[in-house]
Amino acid sequence: MFERFTKDARAVVEGAVLQAERAGAETVEAEHMLLALLDREGSRGSFALASLGLAGRRDSVERDLAEARRRGGLSRADADALSGLGIDLSEIVSRVEEAHGEGALDSGKGGGGGRRARRRPFAQGAKGVLTQSLRIALARRERHIGDEHLLMALTVRPGVLSEVLADHGVTHEAVTRVLYGGGGGVAEAG
Amino acid sequence: MTEATDLAERAGDRDPRVGLRAVSALRRLLEQLEAVQVRSARNQGWSWQEIAAELGVSRQAVHKKYGRQ
Repeated sequence: MFERFTKDARAVVEGAVLQAERAGAETVEAEHMLLALLDREGSRGSFALASLGLAGRRDSVERDLAEARRRGGLSRADADALSGLGIDLSEIVSRVEEAHGEGALDSGKGGGGGRRARRRPFAQGAKGVLTQSLRIALARRERHIGDEHLLMALTVRPGVLSEVLADHGVTHEAVTRVLYGGGGGVAEAG
Repeated sequence: MTEATDLAERAGDRDPRVGLRAVSALRRLLEQLEAVQVRSARNQGWSWQEIAAELGVSRQAVHKKYGRQ
């Protein structure tokens, strides 16, 4: 599958591994792919993000991601679904934090310090983004998978990441519009 | 009017999508809560056997899931 990846897409995948390493995470998550995407320059993915005003808003994205991790990685849609059952997620989070410390539900945090370095596997969610990007490229009849396809995959998969992106104006529709829609000329950047 | 609202709400509850989404969210929350509690028990010196007994699962199951942490 990786032989279809462009240089930029590979850079995002490699960047995600570095992000995971830096965060002390056990596995490479989809979130690390998003952070790696935000680091890119001169690619189609970074062009789309910049066009939608995300350049310079990395801090805001990171803040929202941290907030979601604190909720155990559950999205707002999850919280709504739980409240439909009479379960108040924020109440649970605050009680767990009272007993076990702030960020107790954040499973992405590194455990022990002296762990020997080993190859970090890609978590199921991150693998899902890779296969989804392939599906998106195929559906568009594009032969190669670029970092813009990774970005589009992140926007279509339900959960925290697509919610945070949408909160920053990056929806699947918006990305498609700046990359392929109208005018034509804009789509050629990168 | 209120009857209509009630009906609408109850119809909403029967929408499988709403129920399934709630179950999925609950399952993920449960996983996180279990991890927190297992970690806490281990930090307090509990054996895998003791933790497994409280969770109502086999020692092997708990150890396989959390043993490397």
